[in-house]
Order: sequence, then C-alpha cells, then structure tokens
Amino acid sequence: MPPDAMSHLRLDGLTRRFPGTAHPAVDGVSLELPRGALLALLGPSGCGKTTTLRMIAGLETPDAGRVTVAGRDVTDLPPHRRNMGVVFQSYALFPHMTAAANIAFGLEMRGTPRAERESRVAEALALVGLGDLAARKPRQLSGGQQQRVALARALAIQPDLLLLDEPLSALDAKLREGVRDEIRALQQRVGATTVFVTHDQTEALAMADLVAVMNEGRVEQLGTPEEVFERPATRFVATFVGRAARLPGRVDGPGVVRCGEVALRAAEAPGSGAAEVFIRPHHVRPLAPDATADNILEGRVLRRTYTGDLVSLECETPAGRIQAELPGGAPGAALAAGAAVRLGFAAEDVRVFPA
Amino acid sequence: MGARAGLLLILPAAAILAAGFVYPVLLLARISLNRTTDIGAMEEAVTLETFEQLVGDAFTWDLAWNTATLAAGSALAATALALPVALLIRAAPPRWRGLLSLMAVAPLLVSGTARVVGWLAILGDNGVVNATLMGLGLTDDPVRMINNWTGVRIGLTESLMPYACLVLIAGLGRLDPRLEEAAATLGATRSRTFLRVTLPLAAPALLAAFLLTFVLGVSAFVTPRLMGGGRVFVIATEIFDLALESVNWPAAAALAMLLLGALAVALVLRAVLVREAAR
Repeated sequence: MPPDAMSHLRLDGLTRRFPGTAHPAVDGVSLELPRGALLALLGPSGCGKTTTLRMIAGLETPDAGRVTVAGRDVTDLPPHRRNMGVVFQSYALFPHMTAAANIAFGLEMRGTPRAERESRVAEALALVGLGDLAARKPRQLSGGQQQRVALARALAIQPDLLLLDEPLSALDAKLREGVRDEIRALQQRVGATTVFVTHDQTEALAMADLVAVMNEGRVEQLGTPEEVFERPATRFVATFVGRAARLPGRVDGPGVVRCGEVALRAAEAPGSGAAEVFIRPHHVRPLAPDATADNILEGRVLRRTYTGDLVSLECETPAGRIQAELPGGAPGAALAAGAAVRLGFAAEDVRVFPA
Repeated sequence: MGARAGLLLILPAAAILAAGFVYPVLLLARISLNRTTDIGAMEEAVTLETFEQLVGDAFTWDLAWNTATLAAGSALAATALALPVALLIRAAPPRWRGLLSLMAVAPLLVSGTARVVGWLAILGDNGVVNATLMGLGLTDDPVRMINNWTGVRIGLTESLMPYACLVLIAGLGRLDPRLEEAAATLGATRSRTFLRVTLPLAAPALLAAFLLTFVLGVSAFVTPRLMGGGRVFVIATEIFDLALESVNWPAAAALAMLLLGALAVALVLRAVLVREAAR
C-alpha cells in the first residue's frame, strides 16, 4: 500500500521528564506520519527515541503533549486499549507459551473465536515463514526465529500502528541485513504504519520512508532518507548521519565560506562569522586536468585505503584535510600516497553550519 | 585460582559443618539404635526396637499429621502473603528496592522468642485484638487465639514470611517486566496479565518459597512450644519432651531420625519438581 497523504500518526509536543534528571528525556517532539509509512527514530543512546516509542505505545505517560492515531486522541488510553503491535528489543516472548500461543494471545484478549484465532495464527506464522515451528517454545527458537514470532505476534492483532524497538540489535551482524529487508518487505505487504527505533543510520536509511533524527530529546530533522543524508538541517545531523570532512571556517559573504586560505562556494552559508564546513567523501572527486567544478582544491594524497568496492583517498589541501571516496575503477582511484591531486566538488555539497 | 585453593577455602566451613552438624547427627543415629530398659535407662545396643515402637504407635502418626498440616497451612499462608510484598518490591523504583527488601526480612533480625512474646501481647485475652473486638462490642468474651492451634498457625505463618519473601523477591526479580508490557500492548488488562503471564512465570519461585517454608515449618519448635501453651503437639515438641522430660534418648533420637528422613524425601522431591519445571 503506498503511503497516502492523510496523517495516520500525529505527535504534538510530546514531553517526558524523568524525576531527578536535569533535562527532559523527550522534549516537545512533534511529527506526522502518513498511513502505511515507516518512520525511523534515529539517534544516539539517550536521545529519547525509545521513550518516544514507549509513549506512543502507552507504556510511558507523557508530562505534556498528545498522541493521535487515525484521528483519535489516544494519549489517555492505557496500552491494552490502544491496539498497537509492539516488538520489543528483547522480543519479550512469553517463555511459558509456544510460538502459536504467543501469537494467539492478543486475539484471545480480544475475544476472537477459537476457529478464527487458529486460522489467523496460522496465517501470521506463514507470513513470517515459520509455519512448521508453531509448537516450539521461545527458548527452542533461534534469535532470528524469535524475532519473527515477535513480529507475527504484533501483526496478528492487525494493529493500528506497528512499533519496533531496535528489533535488529539482538541479532548477529550477518543476519541483520537479511532480516532488515524482510521486515521492510513485510511492512509494505501488510501496509502497517510503522515506527522503528534505531541507533544505526544504515538501518534507518535503508528501511524508512521518513527519518526523524533525534538528539537530547528533540527532533533535529524530519525528512526522507535522502534529505537527511544529503541535506542535513543541523550540525548534529551532519555529524551523526554519514561521514564527512569537518573543516573550521568563516562565512565570508553570501554563498562563500573561507577555510584556511581558500574561499569555498556553498549553496547556502547561513549567518556570518565562525562556521563548521561539512563535505561528504562521496561528493569529492579527483578531477582530470581540464575538468572543472564549483570548488577545486589542489592537494596531495596522504593515504589510500582500498576496501574492495571503494577506494578512499585522504588528501591534504590548503582548506584542510578532505576525504574522497570513489568506486574502485573510477578515474583517480589508482592515485597512490604522495601523488598530487586536484579535488572537485559542487557548491550544493558544501554544508555550512554556525560553529 | 586452582581447584586446590578452592578446596582450601571451603575447609573452615566444611570443618564447622562436620563438627556442628554431621557429627551430632551421626551420634543421634547411633543413639536411636540403643535400647531403653524397663526402668527407663539407656542400654548400648544395635536394634530397631525403638523405631518399631514409634511406627506402631498411633500417636506418632497423629503427630506427623499435625506437623504436616500445620507446616503446609502456614507455608501456604506465608507464601500467599509474601507474594504481594514481593510484587510491590519488584514494581518499586530501583533505589527503594533495597530498603523495602530489608524491611521485608527485618523480622529475621529479631529473636524468634521475642516475636512470640509480641504475638502473645497482641493475641492474648487482654491483648490488642481482643480489647478492640470487645470494645467494639463484637464479642463479650475474649476469642482464644493463644495456647491453641490458632495461635500457633498465626505465629508460624509470621515467622515463615520473611523466608518466603526472600525467595520470592529473588525469584520475581528475574522476571522481565517487558513481558507484562508486551501482554498489555496485546490487549490484556492488568488482572489478565497477572493471571496469564505474571503468575505462571512466578510459579517456580512460589513453589520454591512454599517448599522452603514447609520444611522450616515442619521443624519449627519455638512457636508451637510457646504459643501452643502445652496444648499443641508436633514432632519437634515431642522430640524435646522425649529427650528432656521423659529422658528417653533412644526414642527422641529415633523420632528425630524419622523427621530427618521425611525432610530429606521432601527436598529430593523439590529438586525433581524444580527440574521438571525447568524442562
């Protein structure tokens, strides 16, 4: 189901302050999510992303703000009346029940008749590809299987909202990518509006329709993965999402920022005075002698790192130290340490933030 | 640290256990095989006569029944009363948990005898409870709550509660609160969450608490002796009477060995049950 324009989940100034702490864990979070979309709450540990998720689920009571789902204000509803499917970081499967009984639990609580319950449990198990493991207890299942049972349990109640709290963090690194794509495919197949908490930017960018980058209880930026990655709105987002060369500089008139002895052209250079300039490695290219670009820096290769599909060049330039990252076979990829290099990058790829 | 160093470290404890427990029990076992002469003197022998007499005596079976029902009832009550305490401590903020746990087991810091005296003051004919009942006009004569089984049950339950609390606090502490949250998000009310998730998962801890307090209740002596006012007979009081009043050491020793055997069976049963539950 494609996301439509109607906002399905709406948070208004959601705030939570834990007793005895100086700063609110969640500080006025507002956002809207269309039906069927997947939102990633991305941020470092302690940024308030899990607390936000728990407030949406009703497991934590906000000190201020409202939660609205499908036009209904659920802020004052207890969790058992919210109809939200939650997958916990530890999965929280009931250890004394079989996989099937775990999935049936939510339907039982809703008074679903036995026959329908059984068919929906079978459906949910088939959905996550575990049809033959229905009678297993959680401890007889692998981590990945437990995770899928947890997902099936959350989806079986046909929730208004699917909430995932770091669902991949307990899995082996090898499994993670596959499960990530599975969850995304499943989410799109059933059209569940989903909020997903993660500290892993790759996960967030790969899975989400919208990413909310959070820091110190606030949303720093809400946007598509491309927007967040290519056009970070704040210095924090630029630092947290993706890698970048960070150069100290000074805004020197409209669209010009001075780094060391060099003036760089930037699409936007807000304010004036001291600034920090971010340039992503994959935006920087070694130039052929006759080629041109908005910004050109003459420099020298300090170190070349070969990682198979990519080559990374660490270069010393008059503006400071800058990395260029390019495909293994690209022009300039063969440059060795000590070689002279001409680096070029576009004005729109120079991000300037007040220091 | 090697196995040798480990053995050296447990040596003091092992020595104390050997001198203070193993040796007396062996001595008791030996005495239980002696014979009592017609004039009541103990005679060196190796005979099962005393055991035969005890097992053949209906009074021994009355005592066993009294002891088992008293211990089972009190252990059940103590476990049931300790459960809300343990649940409360589990739900409390972490920094309160230590203090609350300490309060729950604080009665262990007071001598059992002192606690019995306290109960006598509360439950006696002129005690707080009867004064209140009579003051409210609910009863004209004091309700007998000491020097009988009622008093012993109340006192024993109270004295077993700290142990039940100790076991349940430890057992419930390992229960992941996310499980109850998961139940809530799946639509379970608090009471259904309790019945379907919390209680089944607490079952092993409840069983452990019951069995521990049962074993302690079976061997309880102070409470039945002092709160029973000489009208309550259980195996422990009978052993005391046989040894120190009738001065029939072989009989006292034999009864003690029978009790020890029964408790050993109970502990083995517990181990089997716990292993079954973990399967």
